[in-house]
Amino acid sequence: MALKERPKPFLLPEYCKGCGRCLDACAKDCITLSDQINPLTGLIPVVMDLTNCNACGLCMDACPEPYGLRATPEGGVEDFELEDPAKLFGVKPSDAPEPVDLPSEILPLSRTEPLVIKGTYASAIGALLAGCRHVYGYPITPSTEGAELMAKFLPKLDGTFLQAVSEVAAVNMMYGTAGAGLPCMTFTSSPGFSLMLEGVSYMIGSELPGVFVDVMRGGPGLGNIAPEQSDIKLACHGLGHGNTQAIVLAPSTPQEMLDLTILAFELSFKYRNPVIILGDGYLGQMTGKVQLPETLIKPGIPKWAVYGDAMHRRNLITSIFLTETDLEAHNVHLNAKYKAMQVETRAESFLCDDAELVIIACNTPARMAKGAVQELRQKGVKAGLFRPITLWPFPVEQLVAAMEGAQRLVVVEASAGQLEDEIRLALSKAGVRQFPEIESVRRMGGILPQQEEVMAQVLGQKEARV
Amino acid sequence: MSKSSVFYDKFERHSHGEGLKGNSTHYCPGCGHGLAHKFLAEAIDELGIQDRTVAISPVGCSVFLYYYFDVGNSQAAHGRAPVVALGHKFANPDSVVVSYQGDGDLASIGLAETVATAQLGAPITIIFINNAIYGMTGGQMAPTTLMGQSSTTSPAGRNEYMGQPIKMAELIAGLDGPVYVERVALYDAKQRIKAKKAIIKGLKNQIEGRGYSFIEILSECPTHLKLTPEENEKWVKESMEPIYPLGVKKDLTVEPWFKRNPPSFSGEKILSLTGATSEHPERFCKGFPAQIAGLDISLKLAGSGGDGAQTAAMLIARAAINEGFDATHIPSYGPESRGGTSYADVHVAEEEVLNPGSSSPDILIAFNAPSLVKFGPTVKKGGTVIYDSSVVTEPPVLDPSVKMVPVPFTGIATDLGKAVVKNIVALGALQAATGIFPKETLLTAIRVALKDKCALIPLNEEAFAWGIKSVASLTD
Repeated sequence: MALKERPKPFLLPEYCKGCGRCLDACAKDCITLSDQINPLTGLIPVVMDLTNCNACGLCMDACPEPYGLRATPEGGVEDFELEDPAKLFGVKPSDAPEPVDLPSEILPLSRTEPLVIKGTYASAIGALLAGCRHVYGYPITPSTEGAELMAKFLPKLDGTFLQAVSEVAAVNMMYGTAGAGLPCMTFTSSPGFSLMLEGVSYMIGSELPGVFVDVMRGGPGLGNIAPEQSDIKLACHGLGHGNTQAIVLAPSTPQEMLDLTILAFELSFKYRNPVIILGDGYLGQMTGKVQLPETLIKPGIPKWAVYGDAMHRRNLITSIFLTETDLEAHNVHLNAKYKAMQVETRAESFLCDDAELVIIACNTPARMAKGAVQELRQKGVKAGLFRPITLWPFPVEQLVAAMEGAQRLVVVEASAGQLEDEIRLALSKAGVRQFPEIESVRRMGGILPQQEEVMAQVLGQKEARV
Repeated sequence: MSKSSVFYDKFERHSHGEGLKGNSTHYCPGCGHGLAHKFLAEAIDELGIQDRTVAISPVGCSVFLYYYFDVGNSQAAHGRAPVVALGHKFANPDSVVVSYQGDGDLASIGLAETVATAQLGAPITIIFINNAIYGMTGGQMAPTTLMGQSSTTSPAGRNEYMGQPIKMAELIAGLDGPVYVERVALYDAKQRIKAKKAIIKGLKNQIEGRGYSFIEILSECPTHLKLTPEENEKWVKESMEPIYPLGVKKDLTVEPWFKRNPPSFSGEKILSLTGATSEHPERFCKGFPAQIAGLDISLKLAGSGGDGAQTAAMLIARAAINEGFDATHIPSYGPESRGGTSYADVHVAEEEVLNPGSSSPDILIAFNAPSLVKFGPTVKKGGTVIYDSSVVTEPPVLDPSVKMVPVPFTGIATDLGKAVVKNIVALGALQAATGIFPKETLLTAIRVALKDKCALIPLNEEAFAWGIKSVASLTD
């Protein structure tokens, strides 16, 4: 006979769960259920009498277990009864190679004259220079222009812009691309950011990088599309379920929208963690002078990625740790990472050295405050501005230094006290008990506090407050 | 048939993956998942795509798909597997991405992602296990639970108040995105052979870049249906199949289309897209116009949509930055998409704009009466108000220190034949009334803005000149 003999089935009883799906598949009635419990598994396996077997193979097709009914290996099977059957299959779990990092490259970029562009555009261009070619998003005012620019530019760079069915889908597209090890981002605004938080928690749990530009707007609920610093609490202490933290950056100029977006990608890969950029509607729409850097990044592929090639085949992206002790260990690992992120604090101190009155503000309100500081200085008041650039981790050491000689602290914010809560928490955690009573200038609903209101508070003309 | 090499030799990721259990699945005896896993592994093996494959594990019993498959693995949030698959596919178009999902994951919580991904049509392969029940959470009603079928959340049987079972293969086949949709089963040898073939075909469509494939597999869950595996096979055939008929629901012949180039990282390309240039703009200012308001000038331009207030504001900001100063422009619109209010706050500073808001501007340019009435009183003492005297016939009485400059923006523009250039008339008036920048500074900004519409340059230059002339005529 020229035809090779077809293999007959072979079964290690230890791998049989006794479901019996092979019984019907056999036309020759070779297989029956045993009447004895296998002491190793506690299950009742099938037994085979292969006298009539014609090696049709249908029983093997019917067995749901990968190591259940299988073809008899060539040369037959050694007596295995006294051996751990697992050893029959060797010890290497996979022949996939050990992955290595394919590093990013820094490429030169010609020096150019400053651009005159709006904040969302600056952020989008920053992302392109940081090597991001995958942008996913869902239209939401006032962040949409960033996505629109990406939709226009990315096809020309053979990149990908996908408009997702929702923010939930958008963040999970990021999960996929980040899982493949590539830089990716989204533009969103408060209600959309709320929807993305499930995915953010999964990204943190699975240790995936990604940049979220949240151009904050008035809330709660649908609120309105005007600027509010409404998501500070969410970004600093509410990134979905579980033990989650991410670096939160708060730009205040279009230039910073570009610079901090580039930084966000760097930090996000450095820590394998999402980074949140909190802008406000004014900043998103504001046009200003933006100087491009003189380098751009061509991203590599990190060794942990699931890129879909031989090099990365053994990798796994997941946030599930079924065993309690494993999950606790994972959280301990995340905490160590959050602790390591503490070195990333950034802040600007403007005229704080001799300041007797320190104003604290971030985003666009920090610019109103800066105007107020200048006006106060002209009036002879020793005022300074402390502007946290990272809201998490909060730059508390820099704040303590800035308010060293301060007799008054004024927090200026477009929210009901979310920034003040961050300041109080940071001071409390740092063990700072002695500080001046915090005064506040707050507006909500999409109204930014104006320079005049800051002046009125400082100069004691409280009736001017709304 | 030897076991497929696509399965790990040992299931080490299983938390009990030692000894005997290191080679058994976590599935209950008789569960259809094991079969679907085997057929998928064999297909991957047969097609030689093990290295390229990325398997997306869902939430449900098959959450631990990654215990078994020696391929790239990614575990997704509940229902989100298809969009995670898209993220992988677009990151590496050469990868072969399989989204393996159960009925709760695909047809309930992930329905939006499922439908949108199918309609997008990018080549990925969906394996949908429909066993008419929630397994992992313990036998609750699934979107595919049959009418009358009892579950822990439909204890008296699914009735009309709980809705009808959802027929996903038909729903997906009804969309224009997918190229191939088939429903198969596992209850006998014949169906198992068809199931295997369908999986191979679904993967081939992806490998060849032809499009999205959806394979629904009617499967068994003996534990939660409280049947023996044999009874469950029979139940799938006799109870499920009439509701979920087997067969090909859609099979288009489509030429390969999904071909994506690797992304470009050319700096030159990015610069050209952004319009950034290394050419120094010509400068005309001798110094910062500190005579207006010190080192930071605040302007407000106010009108309604279509007046061109935002364009004029942008031109002022560009002109300032070209001269080496700092500038900002914040637009603000009414809620209407067209025709509503349109205000612009502009700041020009020698070094750095501190506060970019113009709540009390040094200069107001008003394009209509309501804007003048609203913002006129906010203008700083000694400031300037330039307004369209074609439409504002009775200007409000403002502080006597404020300089009022009436210029017929609309009248001049209409005489020139194009009403839209009224904002350029306004810029000419601004130049003449305040001396903020030399004429050439603003004209250069205008010309650069019109570089793609050169034919319009002379008209705009004329409008600008008329703006200057009409201010001059006021003092004559």
